[in-house]
Amino acid sequence: MQLRSRSFELPTTSEAQEFYHSRGWTDGLPVVPPTSEAVIACLEWALVTADQLIGVEPVRECAISAEKLAINAVMAGCLPMHFPVVLAAWTAMLQPEFLLHGATASTGGCGIFIVLSGPVRKELGASGEINVLGGSDRATSVIGRAIRLGLINILNVSPGAIDRSTLGHPGKFSYCLAEDEEGTGWETLGEAQGMPDQASAVTVLAAGAPRQIMNEWTTVPEEILDTYAAEMRANMLNYSIWAGNYAIVIPKQHRDHLEAAGWSKADVANYIHDKARVKRAAWSDVGKSAVIRGKGEIQYSALSSPEDLLVIAAGGPAGGFGAIIPPWLGTKSRAVTVPIGACLDCEPPAIRP
Amino acid sequence: MPVSVLDPTTEAVNLAATSAARLGSLQGTTIGLISNGKEGTQGFFTHLKRLLHDRYNVAEVVLRTKHNYSAPAEAAIIDEIQNWHAVVTGIGD
Repeated sequence: MQLRSRSFELPTTSEAQEFYHSRGWTDGLPVVPPTSEAVIACLEWALVTADQLIGVEPVRECAISAEKLAINAVMAGCLPMHFPVVLAAWTAMLQPEFLLHGATASTGGCGIFIVLSGPVRKELGASGEINVLGGSDRATSVIGRAIRLGLINILNVSPGAIDRSTLGHPGKFSYCLAEDEEGTGWETLGEAQGMPDQASAVTVLAAGAPRQIMNEWTTVPEEILDTYAAEMRANMLNYSIWAGNYAIVIPKQHRDHLEAAGWSKADVANYIHDKARVKRAAWSDVGKSAVIRGKGEIQYSALSSPEDLLVIAAGGPAGGFGAIIPPWLGTKSRAVTVPIGACLDCEPPAIRP
Repeated sequence: MPVSVLDPTTEAVNLAATSAARLGSLQGTTIGLISNGKEGTQGFFTHLKRLLHDRYNVAEVVLRTKHNYSAPAEAAIIDEIQNWHAVVTGIGD
């Protein structure tokens, strides 16, 4: 396979390391030197040619080739078997409704939150259990990092260049998890987003940092979910009041109570849709009286519809914890799900209206 | 041990684009202002509009605001640019 990228001859791998850092081609951590052999292995595993066009970033009209994605994936530590997921994630991110340029340039400082569903998780050794939001396994760590390095190097999303984040958050290094499908009877996130049963899928969401909650003092589904809804209301007041694709990560302890009571993901979403609402007047409690502007009685929902909630079964088996993951820009940037693997060449499905 | 490694950045040359001709004077011109619509832009563009009129004798200042501050301007706004002598676009927070 013929590669088109420039190559550089360096005396040692240590000097190669410094060469990449000196050019701003890293996230500050060491990278795996991307040799032709390693890059070709990724492309061959994914059955793509080097010049295959994965998509075009629509604002800056930048073509994204499989070769450049593979180089960055190798740098992030990906093995060839991880690369199809990286391709699928980029395919999802390049859908117009994701608003990639805005998401990566915004002062809001979101990260690309990635969720793996279906058999691919087990094939890659991805764990959806302990420390799921903090680096639970090799696969999710390197896949999430490959996305960030690709953004830095292919789209110049470096801090101070395209990336204008006021703060950013630690998830920008790598923000990928797998669902704990073996630990739940619920449908997968991919299935909930319209993928065929048992298909592997990747979902991407431009998202803020996780906000952790704790409630170990009830087994009642409504009370458990009231804590999640309260955190969403807090986000609405303290960050953004506008509706969007929120994700909630429900670990096994909470999930077991919900499932034992017969609650499905759809039941969870319906309940949260009803509860995650605030009135504009509540802004006065958080120092934002100036923007109430006489419209204090208007009620806002965190979700335009229950289907906008991404309910994710993941996390360690012990602990009455959970997390909400807020959207970066309400309904103006949408979560996108695409299949992985055999359907990589398929047209991505249209997102739900 | 020597190692051969690859460039991870975009190397493709963008389509040739050149800057528009600079205006010799703003006197009597029509200037478009494209705001991203954020809170901080209101005062900035209001002040800029006043400066253009009072200090540079601009004939008309047209203010347009994007619907989504994180997305490109709508096609209708882009189409309108051909009616202006110059355009100012910027961000504010």
